[in-house]
Amino acid sequence: MGKLLYVLPLLVALMLAGCGKQESDLPVNTRLGGDFTLTDQNGAPFQAEKLKGKVSILFFGYTHCPDICPAVLAQVAQVYRHLEEEGVADQVQPVFITFDPERDTEAHLKEYLPWFKADMIGLTGSLEQIREVAKQYGVVFIKDQEAGEQGYLFTHSDYIYLLDEQARVRKLYPADFKIDEVVTDVESLL
Amino acid sequence: MLNHFYKKTCQGAVLAAVLCSGFAHADVSISEGWLRAVPPVSPTMAGYLTVTNNGASSVKIMGASSEVAGHTMLHSMKTLEDGTRKMGHLHHIMLEPGESFSLSPGGDHLMLMKLQRVPQPGESVTVCLMPAEGDAICADLPVLRERPSAF
Repeated sequence: MGKLLYVLPLLVALMLAGCGKQESDLPVNTRLGGDFTLTDQNGAPFQAEKLKGKVSILFFGYTHCPDICPAVLAQVAQVYRHLEEEGVADQVQPVFITFDPERDTEAHLKEYLPWFKADMIGLTGSLEQIREVAKQYGVVFIKDQEAGEQGYLFTHSDYIYLLDEQARVRKLYPADFKIDEVVTDVESLL
Repeated sequence: MLNHFYKKTCQGAVLAAVLCSGFAHADVSISEGWLRAVPPVSPTMAGYLTVTNNGASSVKIMGASSEVAGHTMLHSMKTLEDGTRKMGHLHHIMLEPGESFSLSPGGDHLMLMKLQRVPQPGESVTVCLMPAEGDAICADLPVLRERPSAF
């Protein structure tokens, strides 16, 4: 009984600590991000505002890219599956923004993205709109002048952006990011 | 008769070339090969492998081919000063005796284009490297969704 008196307050304290939401220590990046309007894979307008309410994993690429972009898509899908196992995937939104609107039409994104099984939103738009969003996120993409047999390619940056529930950028990752690191960071923002 | 003699002589010559000159590149091996699975609507896919020259003479790989692609290229990947990544044609791979060269995710890779069909996870696809001299060096590469942790 005496021991219980000592242990009980400790248990209560631990339970209360578990109830309170811990603030993530990931800093808010105020230089990247902002409002934008693009079009999703269903042809509906998509404003940056719609990113609010969920943690987003946002990245840029193009579907005719053979190496880096499918690799990033596959890795983001892996992150999503981990989060599904943790039961929190419904609070997370992967977002793919193409910088190749000529080939990555809404219809093509709609066919391409479901294969990754990560409930991904695909965004396209006019080149002007995409340039504006890319600028907001510091993304560089340059269409190669010489189109080979494979068609044209892009020279591009390949960062992945973690956005919090207020659509603020909290962290950037390289294309070969560690799955566990992103999962941990996402969970810290939930 | 002459035709038969010619045929036999040629077969013998080919066999001799294979056995004696190393043209068949029996000493060149492919390991850690795989293709990254992509959606069925993808126009391209990438392949990765390590090619090793176990022989005593140098080998120059000039290109690649695959049964599922109308065109297969060796692709280089460079990281530029501003951090962007640029792909280009890798014109050849020179392998001195004992040397290996790896085509790996995010780096130099095989690019399969004009896909006649998009092979899916679980399938294997024959991919061949074409040396400047001698026979193609081929291997069956598994189609995988993710990079094997062992590679």
